[in-house]
Amino acid sequence: MNKPWRLLKGWDHLVSTADGLAVDDCLAHTVSEQGSAPILHLYRFKPSVIVGKYQDIEAALNLDRCRARGVEYNRRSTGGGTVIMGERVVALGFGISLDHPRMNRSINAIFRVMSSILIRALKNLGVEAVFRPKNDLEVEGKKIAGLSASSEVGSGILFHCSMLVDFDIPLMLDIMNVPAEKNYEKGYNCFSQRLTTIERELGRPVSMDEVMEAIWRSYEEEFQVEFAPDELSPWEKVKVGELKVSRYEDPRWIFSQRHPRNRMGEALRKTRGGLLQVYLSLSGSIIEQVIITGDFFSSSADINRIESVLKWTPAVKQHILDNLGSVWTEEIIYGVEMEELAETIVQARINGFAAA
Amino acid sequence: MAIIQEYNMPDELYYHEEHSWAKVESDGTVTVGMDDFFQKEAGDIVFVDLPSEEDEVEQDEVCGKIQSRKWIGKLCAPISGEITAVNEALEDDFSLINSDPYGSGWVIKIKPSNLDEDLGNLFHGSKLEEWIKAEIKRAEEEKAKAG
Repeated sequence: MNKPWRLLKGWDHLVSTADGLAVDDCLAHTVSEQGSAPILHLYRFKPSVIVGKYQDIEAALNLDRCRARGVEYNRRSTGGGTVIMGERVVALGFGISLDHPRMNRSINAIFRVMSSILIRALKNLGVEAVFRPKNDLEVEGKKIAGLSASSEVGSGILFHCSMLVDFDIPLMLDIMNVPAEKNYEKGYNCFSQRLTTIERELGRPVSMDEVMEAIWRSYEEEFQVEFAPDELSPWEKVKVGELKVSRYEDPRWIFSQRHPRNRMGEALRKTRGGLLQVYLSLSGSIIEQVIITGDFFSSSADINRIESVLKWTPAVKQHILDNLGSVWTEEIIYGVEMEELAETIVQARINGFAAA
Repeated sequence: MAIIQEYNMPDELYYHEEHSWAKVESDGTVTVGMDDFFQKEAGDIVFVDLPSEEDEVEQDEVCGKIQSRKWIGKLCAPISGEITAVNEALEDDFSLINSDPYGSGWVIKIKPSNLDEDLGNLFHGSKLEEWIKAEIKRAEEEKAKAG
């Protein structure tokens, strides 16, 4: 009989970013160094905002607003962009060995298997989600969950997911620095058209218990295992303490300067379909965030997909075209050619570099 | 030059199981980078967190981190020694690892401290083809599952 997998149930209270993130990092350590069975950590953060490992926190966030509103900020060890966490957002950390047969020693397998688990969990709740490149789950073009991962230690992998049960958009706009902020509340960029939540999709209140159970049961189904509720071992408690001191309580980690330089850029272009406006947030020469707007005709879902596929792509024409090509269909933006959009994005990068 | 299926794995290099490569230069230093299999699997490289010059590293040690999309992977030192140079060109363009993994996309140079024994632990010669074919098979199985 297989050893049960371990479930750390942490959603009956709200945890600090340092506690939650240190436990997550410990998962990969204990799987790799202590031979632990795979561990699922399901929990909730205090109101907080967490940037990706190599993001520029001071460019991404309005730290004064965070402090004024009592919102914690921190930096996680996995990649990707900023996430707003809180009592109505699922925080998920999962530690497993790359050597597990289902992981096939492949990072692509991890994202595929984890997406499939979370899509099933949402389906069992009544929400039809799909994977959206590069690393989100979406419902009809609106993001409902974000995925990220790291393989820092030996064969251990840490997988992270944040999933929205309910969400405070005004808070997000207040504490994050986003390109073209003033445009967010109109047209294609309205946040209510970019994000969705489990409650919004179901049109009813949903308890965190219900969501968490759907998730761990979906893991059990996918891997054909059973979870046993568990606590951290003494070794793990020591490790969590070390990780808090060396990372999540240390300003040198939180304000780490080991990241590419952040820049913003924008460009306008008149096209047959109307005015095209592109706003970029660049991490070095990589697109961290892109906003496409204007008075052309398209759908929010299509614009969201285009923006999403461009994230974490070098702002270089050929890379942009390669990524656009994976989602582009004729007249996806009426009267705008793929080539024109790519050139406008490159121009926004050039303008951003010139302004810096 | 060895093209194994669609992967370019030059014969003269030595490969670590985590897909860093080592090339012994004529002056005795060793150039290190990430191989073609790695860059194809990872996709666009977003950031490389490089070690510092003069750092001492041991074979297999994680001496750098590489971000692609939202995944943070590791650069494992293929051999032990002192880091004598890091590729500053990467700071401006991490995609060099994708576009030219064995040339301008090199990552670090190491002055080796235990070269002969370390090289013996890496994939080279007849062992290389067997190893990389198994890695390719795995990647192809994954692609098929992803549909």
